[in-house]
Amino acid sequence: MKKTITIIEDEPFIIEALSFILEKEGFIVKSISDGAKAIEFVKDTNPDLVILDIMLPNVSGMKILEDIRSTKLIAELPVLMLTAKGQKKDRRAAEDAGVNEFMTKPFDNAELIQQIKHMLKL
Amino acid sequence: MVGALLGTRIRENRKALRLSQKDLAHAAGISASYLNLIEHNRRRIAGKTLNTIARALKVEPSELSDGMNQDLIDRVKTAALRNKKIKTEDDRIEEFSARFPGFARLIARQSDQINIRDEEFAVLSDQLKNDPYFAEAMHLLLSNITTIRSTADILASNPKMSEKIAKNFIDNLAKESLKLSKTAEDIFDYFEPTSEQQVTSFDISPFEALLEKNKYYIDDLENGKKNVDQVLSSLTLSPDEIIKTKSSLNSYMKMAQNLPIKLFLDTAFEYKYDAISLANHFNTDILSICFRLAHLPIGKDIPQFGLIQCDASGMVLYRKQLNSFSLPRYGGACPLWPVYRSLSQPLQPIRAMLDMPMGDRFHTISFAYPTEAARVGMPALTEAIMLFTTDYNMLPKIAYDQTPQLDVGHQCTVCSRLDCNSRRASYLLS
Repeated sequence: MKKTITIIEDEPFIIEALSFILEKEGFIVKSISDGAKAIEFVKDTNPDLVILDIMLPNVSGMKILEDIRSTKLIAELPVLMLTAKGQKKDRRAAEDAGVNEFMTKPFDNAELIQQIKHMLKL
Repeated sequence: MVGALLGTRIRENRKALRLSQKDLAHAAGISASYLNLIEHNRRRIAGKTLNTIARALKVEPSELSDGMNQDLIDRVKTAALRNKKIKTEDDRIEEFSARFPGFARLIARQSDQINIRDEEFAVLSDQLKNDPYFAEAMHLLLSNITTIRSTADILASNPKMSEKIAKNFIDNLAKESLKLSKTAEDIFDYFEPTSEQQVTSFDISPFEALLEKNKYYIDDLENGKKNVDQVLSSLTLSPDEIIKTKSSLNSYMKMAQNLPIKLFLDTAFEYKYDAISLANHFNTDILSICFRLAHLPIGKDIPQFGLIQCDASGMVLYRKQLNSFSLPRYGGACPLWPVYRSLSQPLQPIRAMLDMPMGDRFHTISFAYPTEAARVGMPALTEAIMLFTTDYNMLPKIAYDQTPQLDVGHQCTVCSRLDCNSRRASYLLS
């Protein structure tokens, strides 16, 4: 059965690139760029993993992560933070908020796929 | 060794003035042959003879006598230590300084200037790290590069991709490259000296500079190791600055005496650093508590608070920045900050969580207060403060969990909330 990945990211070209490489690996990809609607979208799409940016319009990725962790049904979802904010304090804040893995932009496509497969135990 | 070089120094100084031994001997009232012995370090001199020769050479006697150039020698030693890759004759620095005082002074001066540049560089580097425009620009730059790198990799590793999909990715690549050039140009423009967005935080007051240097906690005053006058005397100030700095130091001292740090920290820990609970406990005003919270020592279990104080026009009167929350010196901040709202609701503390466009979150308490007794027919003069922290997890949960959340920015030019109704200037990186 194909695994579903939800991307929460505001850069359309990054979404396109991510969608291409993930779909090529056989994942079903759903994406949203509006942080304010992200939680509802995650609940609706019921993914196996979430790729989350920190800097989003309206609501920050950190807040979305906190909301995921405090929302029944999706609280245990594996979350991969994919962000240009790679400073120690950002990493620490993401860890405090309950992130599973943290990758900084720019990323290597192959490494990203490897990380996702590792998180999904594939 | 140094004593033995007194003669050498006299000779070098004489030569620098293009005086003959005869001329100098005449001016000093000694014989040329005696001077010759002195210059070759075969006679020791002191007292009157040394003073006379020094006067004739237009230098201080101490510049010729033992230890006179110790400062110069030390500075040349510092210069030599600066670059360990170049082997210097460290055991001959004293001789060098004595024989070539001009060159020694030049080396020392250049070394001093490098020190000053290093310090300036550290300050500028720190400012750059805390500059919201630069941080935003770097984020955009990284986003551009991410798209380009990932898309280029897709095109390179999928040669059998359909023409339509390939064309789409090539178009993305072209558009993103253009954006990258634009971002790079904007950053370049920003660092042009004429740029309007340049942060003008260089002209901070001596008191603010002192606070910055002490990380906003003056241990000497807090623990009674020094009084205000002793701290003041350690600063180089103009008469006008002395008055202002003394007044600020007195205010700091008053805060330290009214809310002694140890008692305050113990109590603050008990109340989870909540300003309002602390004001009730100490039976004092929120303003004093907020200032105390913004001036705590740095410690593992102590949250770090920033503070901004402004008058009714929004002009910043005092500020303590946090790394991730820089504050403008001359207005221009985000009008959505609750500190401005508090000006219309004096004496009513406003608690709010601020969500910044770059993902940082802050707990804030804003509070406006009259600065003088009411006068008939005159508007009350009002000021406001906003205390903020990213360490909100250390506050009572209710303080950040059940508090209104506001999407705000630093200032319009660096804020990516393009649809904001309060926008009054364009986003420079759009």
